[in-house]
Amino acid sequence: MKPGTVARLALAGSRTDGVRVALTAFSVVLAALAILSALTVIAIPELGAYENNGRYRNALLDEPGLRGGTVFTLLLLTIPILALAGQCSRLGAPARDRRLAGLRLAGATPGQATLVAVAETGVAAVLGVAAGLGVFFAARPLLDGPGSDGLRALPTDVLPPLWQVAVTAVALPLVAALAAALLLRRVVVGPLGVVRRARRNRAPLPWPGALIVLGLVTFGSIAPVLRWFSDRERSAPDWLLNTMGAGGALAATLGVILGTGWISYAAGRLLHRFSRWPSALLAARRLTNDPWHGARTFAALLACVFVGAGAAEMRSFFRIMRDLETASAEGANYGLDSGDGFYLNTIDLVDLAIVVAVVIAATGLVVSVGEGIVSRRQAYAALVASGVPRAVLARSILWHSLVPIVPSVVLALVVGTSLIAPVTGDEVSNYGLSAPFVHAYDSLAAYGALAVGAVIVTVGVGLLFLRSSTAVEELRTG
Amino acid sequence: MTILRARSVVKSYGPTPALRLVDLAVAEGEILAITGPSGCGKSTLLHCLAGILRPDAGEITYGEHQIDTWSEKMRSRLRRTEFGVLFQFGQLVAELTAAENVALPLLLAGTGRREARTAAVGWLDRLGVADVADVRPGEMSGGQQQRCAAARALVTEPRVLFADEPTGALDSRTSEALLGELVRLAHEQRTTVLLVTHDAQVAAYADREVALRDGLVDPTGLGLTAAQGRHGR
Amino acid sequence: MSTAHVLLGLLTGGPMHGYELKRSHDQRLPQAKPVAFGQVYATIGRLQRDGLVTTAGHDQEGGPERTSFEITEAGRKRLDDWLGEIEPPAPYVTSVLFAKVAVAVLVSGADRARDYLVAQRAAHMERLRSLTAVKTDPDSSLGDVVAADFAILHLDADLRWVANTLERVADLHREVHP
Repeated sequence: MKPGTVARLALAGSRTDGVRVALTAFSVVLAALAILSALTVIAIPELGAYENNGRYRNALLDEPGLRGGTVFTLLLLTIPILALAGQCSRLGAPARDRRLAGLRLAGATPGQATLVAVAETGVAAVLGVAAGLGVFFAARPLLDGPGSDGLRALPTDVLPPLWQVAVTAVALPLVAALAAALLLRRVVVGPLGVVRRARRNRAPLPWPGALIVLGLVTFGSIAPVLRWFSDRERSAPDWLLNTMGAGGALAATLGVILGTGWISYAAGRLLHRFSRWPSALLAARRLTNDPWHGARTFAALLACVFVGAGAAEMRSFFRIMRDLETASAEGANYGLDSGDGFYLNTIDLVDLAIVVAVVIAATGLVVSVGEGIVSRRQAYAALVASGVPRAVLARSILWHSLVPIVPSVVLALVVGTSLIAPVTGDEVSNYGLSAPFVHAYDSLAAYGALAVGAVIVTVGVGLLFLRSSTAVEELRTG
Repeated sequence: MTILRARSVVKSYGPTPALRLVDLAVAEGEILAITGPSGCGKSTLLHCLAGILRPDAGEITYGEHQIDTWSEKMRSRLRRTEFGVLFQFGQLVAELTAAENVALPLLLAGTGRREARTAAVGWLDRLGVADVADVRPGEMSGGQQQRCAAARALVTEPRVLFADEPTGALDSRTSEALLGELVRLAHEQRTTVLLVTHDAQVAAYADREVALRDGLVDPTGLGLTAAQGRHGR
Repeated sequence: MSTAHVLLGLLTGGPMHGYELKRSHDQRLPQAKPVAFGQVYATIGRLQRDGLVTTAGHDQEGGPERTSFEITEAGRKRLDDWLGEIEPPAPYVTSVLFAKVAVAVLVSGADRARDYLVAQRAAHMERLRSLTAVKTDPDSSLGDVVAADFAILHLDADLRWVANTLERVADLHREVHP
C-alpha cells in the first residue's frame, strides 16, 4: 500500500473515530508539554554541585540538588497522560474493528489492517506533537517576565538543545504507534469480524502481593545499604541507590495496580455471593468476567494515590523537622528563623502535580465509563424496555467502579505509606531534639477521598451516556 | 374482553411519521400478529402499546388504565410486572449466565436469589434449554439465546407478551420450534401475545392478523378481509 | 379447467378465430405452457356446445375458411362467476391464480384484480394458519407435519407473489390497456 492510501484509510471513520483521534492527539499534546518542560529544566546550566543559579524564584528550579526531583515529577506526570492515551484508543474500538474487518473482506492482509489502525494512532500523535510544540513555543514568550528582583518564575530563558526537541517530536508518535500495535497484538482482524484471542480466563492470583513486598523491601534496604557503606567509610554508588529507589517504588506501584485485578475478582465473587440486588449482581459478574478492567482503568489514579500517600508522609516528616528546628532556635535564643519551609514548598509542588494528574486520570475514566455503557447499549436498551429502571443500571455501573476502587485506594495508601516508613521512622530527630513521628492521617484521608470522589464524579458524567444508549432505537441496530 | 387498545395513535420521529392514525383493540388471551412491510410502523406500534414509547397523540389503554399519560417510572413498573418483551437479538447481558439473565426480572421484583434461580431454571427447562443454565450468552447458539430471552420474557408470568420479530435472526427450523413453544406456553398461561413480523409463515402462528401500511391499518389487509375469506369459501 | 376461462376472457375483447385465440393466449400468459392448436378447437367446441360461445361469422381471405367466435351472455356470466370464486388454497393453485389475475386485469381492470388478490390472500392466510396449527399440535404425526410443511412453504411462495403482484396490478393494467 502506498503511504497516501494508508493515511486515507486510517482517517476514514465515523464521528466516534474522529473523537478518538482528537483525544489521542490531545493526550499527546499533554505528553509533549510534560516532556519538553522536563527537558527545559534539564537544560538549566549547572554552575556547580552546590551553586544556585540565582535566576529563578523557585528553589526547585534554582538549586542543582533539587532539579532532578522536578524533572522526575514532570516525567511522572506522563504516566497518567499515557494511561489517558490508552483509554482513548479503546473508544469506539468495536466500530473501528468492523471497519478493519471491512478492509480485510476487501482483500487487505492482516498486516495491512493492523498497519491502518497503527497509522491512525501515528497520525493523531503527529498532530498532537505539532500542536504541543506550537503551544510550547507560543507560551514561552508569554510567560517570560522577570519580576522586579530580576528573577523568573519559570525557566523561560533557556531552551533544550534542538536535537532533544527533534528526538521528542519523532519519538512520541513512534512510541504511540508501537503501543497501538502492541494493543492490537491480541486482536486478529478477520474478514468476518474481529476475534480477540482468548484471554487468560483463569482467576487472577494474588501474586502482585509479592511484587509489593519486593518493592517495599528494596526501597527499605536503602538505609541499611547506606549504613553498610558508611561503616566502611565509603560512599554508596549513586547508581545503586537510584536503582533501588526507583526500582522499589516502581515495583510497589505495579504491585498495587496489578493487585487491582485480584481485588476486582475477589470483590466480584464476594458481591456475587452476598448481595441481593440485581444491580450488584450485574456489577459482580462484570468484575469477575474481566477483572483486569479495573487495573487498566484505575492504573493512573492509583499511581497518583500511591505517590500522594508518600508525599503526605514526607510532608508530615518535614513539618516535624521544621518544628524541631524552630524549637531549638528558640531554645538557643537565635532570633526567630521562620524555619526552612523549603522542603514543604517542594511537597506543595508534588501535590499540585498529583491534582493535575488526578484530573487527567479522571478524563480517562470518563472515556472508559462511557465506552463501557455504549458497548453494552443493546442489552441495556432491552433491559430498560423490559421495565428495568435506568437507576438499577446506573447503580450497577457505580458498583462496578466503586467496589474495586475503594479497597485498591486503601491498598495504595497503605503501600505508599509503608514505602516511606523506613525514611521517617517512629522518631524524628533534628538539632539534638526529637519528637515522635505523626502519620499524616488527614492528608492520607484527603487523597483517598479525592480518588474515590473523582471516580464517583466520573461515573456520574459517564452516566450521561446511559439515557441515549438505552433509547428504543438501539434495539433495531444489529 | 379487550385488554389493550390504541385509539387514534400518532407517532413521528422528527418530521417522519411512523404511525399516522392507528386504532387497534387486542382481546385478552389472543395471539395477534401485526404485519406489514419494513418501515410501515409495526415496531413503533408495538413500542407504543408496551408503554416503551409515548405516542404524540391518541391514547393507549391497558385494561382500565390509560397508560400513555403515566410517568416513565410507572410505565417501567408496568412493563416489569405485567408485560414481557422479546426482541430480535442482543437482549441478554453478556456477563450473566443464562439462569441469571432469566432470574433478573424476579430479582428486581424482590424475589430471593435461590427462589429466583429455581424459577429461572424451570423456565429454561420449559423452553428446552435447561442444559445451558450456567453458560454465558457468548457461548450459546442463536436459537439458545433466543430461548433464554423468551424464558426471561415469560418468567414473571406476564399478562401480555410483546414480541418484535422474535425469530428474525433464526433459521426456519429453529424459528418454528421457538414459535411453537411460545404459542403453546401462551395458550397454557392464557397470555395475550402481540407478534410483530413481516413474514407470513410467522404470522400464521397468530389467531388474527392486522396489517399496517405507511403508518395506517391497511383496510385491504388481513385484519378485515380474513373474515370475508372464510365466508367466501 | 382454466384454459376454457382464459379463452372466454380473451373473447371479451371481440370476436376472434382459432388461430388468433392461440396467439393471444400465448402472448397474454407468456410463461404458461403454449396451448396446442387442437386444444383450442376442442375447448371452443365444448364452450359452443354449452352455449357460452357462438360463431360470429366466416371469412376466407385467399386461404382456408376460418370461423370466428364470440362470447355469449351466458359466457360472460360464467366468466364473471369464475373470477369471483376463491380458489381453494392449495399448493397447485399457483398457475390458476396467475391466469385469473391476468384475465381479471384484461376484462375488468386493476381494481377487480386487486380485490381478487386481497380476498385470495386472506384465504391463503387462513389455510396457512390451519396448517400451522397442525404443525404445533402435539398429536400430529411426523407425516402430518412434513405434509403441512410442504403445503406451507408453497402457500408462502404464493403469498409472496400475491403481495408483489398487488403492488404491480396498476402497472399491469396500463400495459394491457395502453
